Amino acid sequence: MWDTFIVTPLTNILLWIYKLFGGNFGLAIILFTILIRLVTHPLMASQIKSSQKMQEMQGSKKWQEIQKKYKDDKEKLAQEQMKLYQELGINPLGSCLPTLIQIPIIFGLYQSIMRALAASPIQLLTLTRSVYAIFNTPALLPLNSQFLWMNLGQTPEKIFLPFLSSGIPNPTLPIIVALTTYIQSKLTMPPAANPGDQSAAMGKMMALYMPFLLGYFSLTFASGLSIYFITSNLVGILQYALLGKVDWRNLLPGGKKGVAKPK
Amino acid sequence: MKVKIILLILSSLALGLLLSGCATGLTPSSWPGITSDGATAYVASANAVYAVNLENGNELWRFPEKVDAKKTFYAAPVLTPDGQLIVGGYDRVLYSLNPQNGQINWQYAEARDRWIGSVLVANDLIYAPNADYNLYAFNLKGEFQWKFAARQALWAAPVTDGQRIYFGSLDRKVHALNAHSGQLAWDKALTGALLGSPVLGDSGQLYVATFGGDVFALDRTNGNQLWKFAADNFVWSAPVLSDGVIYFGDSKGNFYALDAATGAKDWSLQPNSPILGTPLVVGGQILFGTEAGSLYAVDVQGKNAWNQNLDGKLYGTPVAGGDLILVAPVEGQSLLIALDQAGVQKWAFAPAKK
Repeated sequence: MWDTFIVTPLTNILLWIYKLFGGNFGLAIILFTILIRLVTHPLMASQIKSSQKMQEMQGSKKWQEIQKKYKDDKEKLAQEQMKLYQELGINPLGSCLPTLIQIPIIFGLYQSIMRALAASPIQLLTLTRSVYAIFNTPALLPLNSQFLWMNLGQTPEKIFLPFLSSGIPNPTLPIIVALTTYIQSKLTMPPAANPGDQSAAMGKMMALYMPFLLGYFSLTFASGLSIYFITSNLVGILQYALLGKVDWRNLLPGGKKGVAKPK
Repeated sequence: MKVKIILLILSSLALGLLLSGCATGLTPSSWPGITSDGATAYVASANAVYAVNLENGNELWRFPEKVDAKKTFYAAPVLTPDGQLIVGGYDRVLYSLNPQNGQINWQYAEARDRWIGSVLVANDLIYAPNADYNLYAFNLKGEFQWKFAARQALWAAPVTDGQRIYFGSLDRKVHALNAHSGQLAWDKALTGALLGSPVLGDSGQLYVATFGGDVFALDRTNGNQLWKFAADNFVWSAPVLSDGVIYFGDSKGNFYALDAATGAKDWSLQPNSPILGTPLVVGGQILFGTEAGSLYAVDVQGKNAWNQNLDGKLYGTPVAGGDLILVAPVEGQSLLIALDQAGVQKWAFAPAKK
């Protein structure tokens, strides 16, 4: 079912873009990622809106009073928080549900990229059976996986240094992935609701942790995945910017230490 | 906060595992490759290369002895005249093993991608196709000699007439190189990717089947087309040439016999499901396997001599081992099945778990 409704349709959209743009698989991944981000844009906008409402609520005097008043009674605190959510018309899951919905799309997208690359005989056989009849399969497959200096189906190629004859994987792509992930996290990080805000601290930690994690993934997985990460990061920044949620000062050293004003 | 950090780390690890599962594939990447010297069968399948005694189907050795998830093998191993067994792995390493005990003689680990196709051993060289687009040449000690870069992956072994080597690539081209220097003599773009090996004709022809569904006869001296035959769908493996007739199957399940001189169809039949492997000609019969798991034997007129339904899918090529016919089904109970030339099963080998 996962295969029929998610991976196979996504694979065919990817192949359609590949065919439409002259058989350039790198370009197809970029356009495919942009398309998926556009389709899921309403989800993202709703997530940002919910997060912002949550931030505002957590910065409010009423919220902080509740925190103080019931700090030793967690059950009562939860009840009061729930009441406040209802009063302000906030869905506490509003900020994470859209993200959860996007996760299967991200997995499906990655699986469809890997399927389309068909790097082994069984994968190619599986791919031939996933392709819709509208395509002339034998003429289309296998795809040309060369893009710029990369083979999108392979991990980064090795570079050999005078002092390291065994070579190291070319770090260019992982560095770009890590950098764009970091920039996206910094630019889109909302201001802390209050100085002791745990979610803000968590956000800061993620901003440091995720670039390393995604950088490591792009070092160890096929380069096609890195193209997806980079495109996704850049489109993400653009989407936040269009919604007016990018704080460029966050990139500057000693830039604004955002703390939302209590209302 | 600590709980959140632990959750974050765990979810990252889960993401990594899921991605790696998608990247490498949790299912087999190909089908087993078999070779035989008449007394022993060597089978490359998933995590090991097995040596199996042809007399009784017992395991003699396996490489590696203990399962290493990073090592997988599917290309048919190849024996060299000086007593080596050459097999490439999906771990990007080309191994020379001792065929007596499976110990490593030497290994080459500098290729950038998988060794999907088998090697060709000729002219005191080992010609090894790699998915990193290169055809590598080594001497018999495993020392690198030269390489030739195609524009896409190489999935099948080259062939040689002594002067030149010929091989196809997923770049849809057939290449002819000087067998000693690796210099390009000619190349020719065809109608689809070349997943199988070319076949040498008796009078200077080169027969090539393509993923585009065509079989070509080319002039070996310059690559000029002599004739072309269009099959119903893609042709995965090399055809076989016997007594002036070309035999091959296609993915729609058709099996064809063509006149090798003209490309005219002698006969065709459609047994039961896609035919992906190269046929085997032995004892006046043509044998081929189907995806439904049937092994068919037909005579030169295309009349069914016998067929045997086996457990699993027969994607690979049947191989002659002494008087036996060896097949390695995918997704079956047994890894290797031996039949006599009347289609009667003699033994089946399933490796014990270690």
